[in-house]
Amino acid sequence: MKAMLIDATRCIGCRGCQVSCKEWNNLPSEETEFFASKGYQNPRDLSSKTWTLITYNEVKVRNRFDWVFGKLQCFHCNEPACATACPVHALEKTEAGPVVYNASICLGCRYCQLACPFKVPRFEWEKALPKITKCTMCADRVEAGEEPACSKACPTDAIIFGDRETLIVEAEDRIRNNPRGYVHHIYGKNEVGGTCVMHLSNVPFEELSFATDLPEKSLTDFVKHGMQPIPFVLAGLGVALGAISWIVNRRIENKEKLHSEGGQQ
Amino acid sequence: MKSELTKPSIGQTILWLLAGFGIVLVLYRFLMGLGAVTNLSDGYPWGLWIGFDIMAGGALAAGGFVMAGTVYLFGGRKFHALARTAILTAFLGYLLYIFGLCVDLGRPWNIWAAIFFWNRDSPMFEVSWCVMLYTTVLLLEFLPVVFEKYRMEKFQTYWKSFVPWLIIVMLGLFTLAMTYSFIWVFVIVLVLLAWEIAMRTGVMPRDKQMPILLIIAGVMISTMYQASLGSLFLFVPHKLHALWYTPILPLLFLFSAIMTAPAMVTFETLMSENMLKHKANFNLLTSLARVMPYLLGFYLLLKVGDLVVRGAVIEAFMLNGQAVSWWMEITIGIIVPLILFLTPEIRSTRRGLLWSSILVVVGLVWNRLNVSVVGIIVQEWETYYPLWSEIFITVGIISIGLIIFKFAVKNLPIYASETTSSV
Repeated sequence: MKAMLIDATRCIGCRGCQVSCKEWNNLPSEETEFFASKGYQNPRDLSSKTWTLITYNEVKVRNRFDWVFGKLQCFHCNEPACATACPVHALEKTEAGPVVYNASICLGCRYCQLACPFKVPRFEWEKALPKITKCTMCADRVEAGEEPACSKACPTDAIIFGDRETLIVEAEDRIRNNPRGYVHHIYGKNEVGGTCVMHLSNVPFEELSFATDLPEKSLTDFVKHGMQPIPFVLAGLGVALGAISWIVNRRIENKEKLHSEGGQQ
Repeated sequence: MKSELTKPSIGQTILWLLAGFGIVLVLYRFLMGLGAVTNLSDGYPWGLWIGFDIMAGGALAAGGFVMAGTVYLFGGRKFHALARTAILTAFLGYLLYIFGLCVDLGRPWNIWAAIFFWNRDSPMFEVSWCVMLYTTVLLLEFLPVVFEKYRMEKFQTYWKSFVPWLIIVMLGLFTLAMTYSFIWVFVIVLVLLAWEIAMRTGVMPRDKQMPILLIIAGVMISTMYQASLGSLFLFVPHKLHALWYTPILPLLFLFSAIMTAPAMVTFETLMSENMLKHKANFNLLTSLARVMPYLLGFYLLLKVGDLVVRGAVIEAFMLNGQAVSWWMEITIGIIVPLILFLTPEIRSTRRGLLWSSILVVVGLVWNRLNVSVVGIIVQEWETYYPLWSEIFITVGIISIGLIIFKFAVKNLPIYASETTSSV
């Protein structure tokens, strides 16, 4: 399975990845808006027009303030909640790794948005014919043997692309070789069952506004017990309801027969 | 709502205005996109429409299958007069529900896709199939009323012999879609076929009017459906507040829907009494009311027991909006009506029954809104409040429903069956 490793310590915040993403995916620009909250990035957040975004976080590192850059994009989970939630498989995990979207069968129910633990799928709220949008890990490029546009554009190799196992080994090496320079955690290695986009950082991940309270098992596992009993319940109800109806109505019939003894049936 | 109905001239006008305004807003929504009429966002993709129209509306329609089951399967034949109203309201409710769903769906023109593209792991897939199948079942249950009105005895006979086979095919397909397993399809089809053959050969008693398989299918699909609405939220342990997030959510949804059914039927019957100026059979309503304390009591135990087991009791005593909303739900929807239904002086009056039932219904709506709107908390995102236009579209849809309901009870033999009882 192909994956990406993003190392915040190597990112210089040039946003070349943001630009190349827009170029490859033909995404329109966004009007710059000022906002009052955490982060100084532009635009403020992911949207249907911005599938990846470098966040600018001012964080205290070794007693002095420093910029630490985080990258927002789809995590391409190993067991994606969005794809399991989707009633029609409009979102699907491909064998190569990327989670891709097929608008031609999407109902626009937005259950994927609710299910995603990373707030990744974005909806085109302003359009009369809207779609769900999100990073595809440049599935078309990956299929052609290329790397995604963002990792290709990265000048410092803060984003690298490769097989998931190789990247995990690489990440572990980086932490081992520079134990004081990294938080000892590969974000995405185990979160919600593991993801295909993994992050390394020198500051705690909550400083980069990453969700740090996610379960280690896939969200899909929380739903299974609601879906698996279905055939048993169906069969059980089929037998029970028929039997009850038989017994109850037989009893009523007998009573009626007793009442109309000698009369018409 | 009540005053509008009792004063037909003014009330009727207001109803038509609200319905018309709702439709104008719906047209605007389809031209300009969801963003133009809602406060929904990528953080809060589901709002009032899902919470009220879909979650609450779907649950309130449970009156249909509970009453149909009671009358035809569990020998509650004396409730036959109530079953027709319940089935009609459920059928209308589902039609409006599908209309509401199409307003909320971003790409409603793709709604057919759910028939052909299967994902048995998705609760939403289960929901969509249950809605399609149960609407068909309700249509089939409702058709005899139309046949009766237009004296189409021939169709009535066709309908009676055709319906069981259609049901077997429908449930077989449903099983296949939910399991991808022909073994399960075989099991389900065999069970249903066995009952049908037993009835045709006269071994098993059959109803003279209603194909029992149709009623059985209605109960089976509704059970699945009510539970699956709860399953939808199993996916959001990271977003739904601990007061409501529980692994037994599907069970709670199913049980609370069943619990609300008698209250909803009572409410509908007493309201249509006002509308039509005829007297409903009050004894039937009081015998329905007698089950309410048991249902409410058990549900309360289930809810509190679940909180205790999960160790989430403390959450109810926090000072935040969610805790307040939880207490409102429990008090208005369960504790107060429980006391009211236990008080004979209240239970035995029309007014008392009406208001106790309204409280149960309001409590259920409140619960569904709590689970799908109030209880959903997305970190680092501005909270969602419905925009005025969202509210007016919902109000418009309800108004359309009331107008159609009134038209139907006036023009179709819904209550006629009380005198010329066919069972």
